[in-house]
Amino acid sequence: MKFEESHLSDQDLVLLADGELSAGEKVRAHSHLNSCWVCRARKQEIEEAIGEFVRFHRGGLDPLIPPASGPRALLKARLAQAASDSDRKSQPWAIPFNGMQMGAAVLLLVAVTSVLLLTAGRFWHGSSPTAFLAANNVPVSFPEPGLTPGAVTAATREQICSMPEPKNRAVPVALRRRVFQEYGLVSSEPQAYEVDYLITPALGGADDIRNLWPQSYRSAVWNARVKDALEDRLRDMVCGGRLDLASAQAEISSDWIAAYKKYFHTDRPVDTTP
Amino acid sequence: MLEDEVITGSGAAAKAARDVREQPRADTSKAPPLELEVIAIFDEFRDRLLRYLISFGLSAADGEEVVQEVFLALFRHLRDEKPRNNLRAWVFQVAHNLALRQRGATRRNHQNLVPFEAVDGEEALIDHAPTPEAQLAGKQRYARLFAVLQALPELDRRCLFLRAEGLTYREIAHVLGVSLGAVPLSLARSLTRLNCVDER
Repeated sequence: MKFEESHLSDQDLVLLADGELSAGEKVRAHSHLNSCWVCRARKQEIEEAIGEFVRFHRGGLDPLIPPASGPRALLKARLAQAASDSDRKSQPWAIPFNGMQMGAAVLLLVAVTSVLLLTAGRFWHGSSPTAFLAANNVPVSFPEPGLTPGAVTAATREQICSMPEPKNRAVPVALRRRVFQEYGLVSSEPQAYEVDYLITPALGGADDIRNLWPQSYRSAVWNARVKDALEDRLRDMVCGGRLDLASAQAEISSDWIAAYKKYFHTDRPVDTTP
Repeated sequence: MLEDEVITGSGAAAKAARDVREQPRADTSKAPPLELEVIAIFDEFRDRLLRYLISFGLSAADGEEVVQEVFLALFRHLRDEKPRNNLRAWVFQVAHNLALRQRGATRRNHQNLVPFEAVDGEEALIDHAPTPEAQLAGKQRYARLFAVLQALPELDRRCLFLRAEGLTYREIAHVLGVSLGAVPLSLARSLTRLNCVDER
């Protein structure tokens, strides 16, 4: 770059404006600018163009950026889920026992495993702990996060809240079958389960296999009726402007029982039967 | 999960986003350090990434989902102890690549992308004008500016938007996969065209 002899190029001026010239080049460019009105005027034009673009860019796009609180809550829930998944994969047997405790635990584990293998083999086709329990007719109140992380549609809060008393749609038979297969309920008792939405459509939940799980009718405490009450409560809060939609979706999909305890202020389900 | 759109409510002012960002973060106190670190980077870059993605033609909802994917990828990247040098360029590069994929998928599904012309910043730009004449002039200038931006080659537009988000030339070259020398050339080309707005 021979700044003293010739005018600065637009590229040189952009590099100078952005602080991307080396120290030596910068000194030479400034020296040229001090003596050249043409280049100074051009530099000013370029800086005005930058200012114009920045006003256009920020003024046009900033109003489209929604508040970060909902997406932040959702990310936090997803990170917790990802961390929990990776813990399970990397340390499946990492139990903080020592000495005699470890010996007793191993014996207990062998005994329990033997019994379960003897009784479960004909039912179980799945691979997850929840699927294993479900396939053995143990009432399960939680979906398996790896199989049912939850999925939502593009509906907005306004669209959701304008729906009159939405009811969960019937899950197509083919989709129900796939859910049972994923949870290893092929030969078990599908009639003992309701295929339920993890995030209810009343809160923007999607008709997606990742949002469906077999909820046992036999769960005595944390059953489908209790979850329905939570869904109604969350929808009231979302539509009443007391909770943002993404947070409601994140909370119900990450741990619906914890969400129930939080929003009903109780450790046990409230009796809502008439 | 790029095909699912996560809803985060209707559009709101950037001020609200900044207000939220400034609130205390007591709720993360129990999270492990790696998750906290990712959340801290999210707090710093979320708005910038989302602006960049919207300038790409993605809807705010699609952009938000891409941002989520970026930070989940960042979590895996850090968890696997991969290089930490220049995470700013890293998150923009991942967002850029995911946006290309998302844009392709959206086009294949015959859904409408949100064209940049739908960005309704016009009011924000001209509202402060003191007289109706000045407002009209502002509106016309906005339209001319927009026409120039739309006519820029994709690479030039990407360079410009990344620079506006504060990336250095080296970072822009990294994100877009171009040579370092191509960045100032591209910016000079774009700024020259923007500079000609008044001459049209």
